[in-house]
Amino acid sequence: MVTLAVWRKFKQQVEHLGRFSRFSGSAFGAMGSSIAHPKTYPLVWTQMNIIGVKSVPVIMATGAFVGMILAVQAYSQLAAMGLEERLGVLINIAVVKELGPVLAAVMLAGRVGGALTAELGTMNVTEQIAAVESMGTDPIKYLVSPRVLACLLLTPVLIVYADLLGILGGYFVSVIQFKINSGAYWDYSAMGVELWDVGTGIFKGFFFGGAIALISCYKGFTCREGAQGVGEACTEAFVGCFISILALNYVFAVILDAIYKTFWPLRPLL
Amino acid sequence: MTRVEVKPGDGILVTRNLTKIYGERVALEKVSVAIEKGKTTVIIGQSGCGKTVFMKHLIALERPTEGEVFFKGQRIDQLHNHELAEVRTSFGFCFQMGALFDSLTVYENIIFPIQQHREIKDFKVLGELVKLKLALVGMDGYQHQYPASLSGGQKKRVSLARAIALNPEVVLYDEPTTGLDPITSDVINELIIKLQRELKITSVVVTHDMKSAYKIADRIIMLHRGKIAADGDADYIRNHPSEVVRQFIEGRIGEADLAALRLGGTKFPTQFQPEDFSGT
Ligand SMILES: Nc1ncnc2c1ncn2[C@@H]1O[C@H](COP(=O)(O)OP(=O)(O)OP(=O)(O)O)[C@@H](O)[C@H]1O
Ligand SMILES: [Mg+2]
Repeated sequence: MVTLAVWRKFKQQVEHLGRFSRFSGSAFGAMGSSIAHPKTYPLVWTQMNIIGVKSVPVIMATGAFVGMILAVQAYSQLAAMGLEERLGVLINIAVVKELGPVLAAVMLAGRVGGALTAELGTMNVTEQIAAVESMGTDPIKYLVSPRVLACLLLTPVLIVYADLLGILGGYFVSVIQFKINSGAYWDYSAMGVELWDVGTGIFKGFFFGGAIALISCYKGFTCREGAQGVGEACTEAFVGCFISILALNYVFAVILDAIYKTFWPLRPLL
Repeated sequence: MTRVEVKPGDGILVTRNLTKIYGERVALEKVSVAIEKGKTTVIIGQSGCGKTVFMKHLIALERPTEGEVFFKGQRIDQLHNHELAEVRTSFGFCFQMGALFDSLTVYENIIFPIQQHREIKDFKVLGELVKLKLALVGMDGYQHQYPASLSGGQKKRVSLARAIALNPEVVLYDEPTTGLDPITSDVINELIIKLQRELKITSVVVTHDMKSAYKIADRIIMLHRGKIAADGDADYIRNHPSEVVRQFIEGRIGEADLAALRLGGTKFPTQFQPEDFSGT
């Protein structure tokens, strides 16, 4: 009995994964064709405004607090060893490599993911998606592709904001509160933080953004009837986004580390 | 009843042995209908008998479990969505609940299909077009309102205007008059008749409203539990011998259902009436 239930559950999950893959596949197809058709650009602009521009304040606040907290927590540890001037390296590496991108993505998943799922889910249960379809327009092209495109293109930009504010936050706490020499702080930071660290952090943003938008839109499109259905879909979308961001981040850590070790030392040869 | 075989070319829209099963529930069972071009076909039947499901199959919004759907002789139920897009521009579908886009104004709702499929850029022309379509349903002047600020009947009328925005060949109306007052209902009836006479539009209308059905129908099909119970013109249906059909058109509950209702009882120990409290 138990094994049967587990098997059924497993089959369901595999089916879900298959449907999600097909959904993503057609979303990417639609994105390709919407890039080729300038007619669809206004839809993308609108979504960029809703998803990207309006997220800037909350993302900046997240970044600033991350930098400040890191400074406070790390200072006493480093000061005990007399290494407080290295505070900059520690904060800035942590911010640009991991915390900035991941926390910006998580904030975005909360702010945008839930809203996308609720919007599309409500459209689904009130047959508005069927209406788009009935008028001979592909709902994935009209509804999903602009949202995914906007999220995918703007998440890296938002990460830049988070990084920037994280660095500034850390700097101000270190220099003003802990009286660390400003020149030394920057010198050590510049030595420790490489272009690679900043670049990969931002690069991950494309994938985080794509995952957030795809998962949220998929959950909206497949949500069950009624107010409860929409609510459940939102919760599932957020949890799904959150787990995917962390899992993707782990995968990137492994892959990028391997790439770094192989190719970065060869850089001077180029 | 002898079953007549239908062929793909028998009408503009043809379903053959259309069967739809949701999980355990049979929503449609071997429904074969050939809908004639330029005529108004009315589909009647009790709530939950499969009318909406049937309509959705006609533009492949739902895919059959078994059976086939043809539009102008072309099989459409197996087409991919991108191939269907072309077919669907020949249709207008008026949803039972309106299904207006609630983030767009009435004006934007109506130009949506036009912008998707026609290359009209001139705002004057678009404005005139929208005005014309809205005037047809008596909703001119509401262009800049959002659907949330319209009444149920008004939403329905706007959704009708949107369905006919592209001058489709076939319009599918899912309960266009339900929830409207008798006068507005009659406006819609006249509109359906007018579209059919002047533009030779083929209409398929789902309705519960027998008065409206008799008025507009060239042919009435009654569905009962997912099957065709009767099929003929208004007079044929009015004098139909079958008890199921008679009960429906006269709006009368069946003996068996009535008995069940009597047996069921209505008063529970926990359910108090005002007079229960007045005795003290
Ligand atoms: N998506 C669905 N999933 C499962 N069952 C469904 C679905 N859509 C419809 N059904 C079932 O199919 C049957 C027919 O539904 P349909 O919506 O066609 O009824 P209807 O004749 O339009 O009724 P009404 O007059 O109340 O609108 C119902 O029993 C309904 O429960
Ligand atoms: Mg219905």
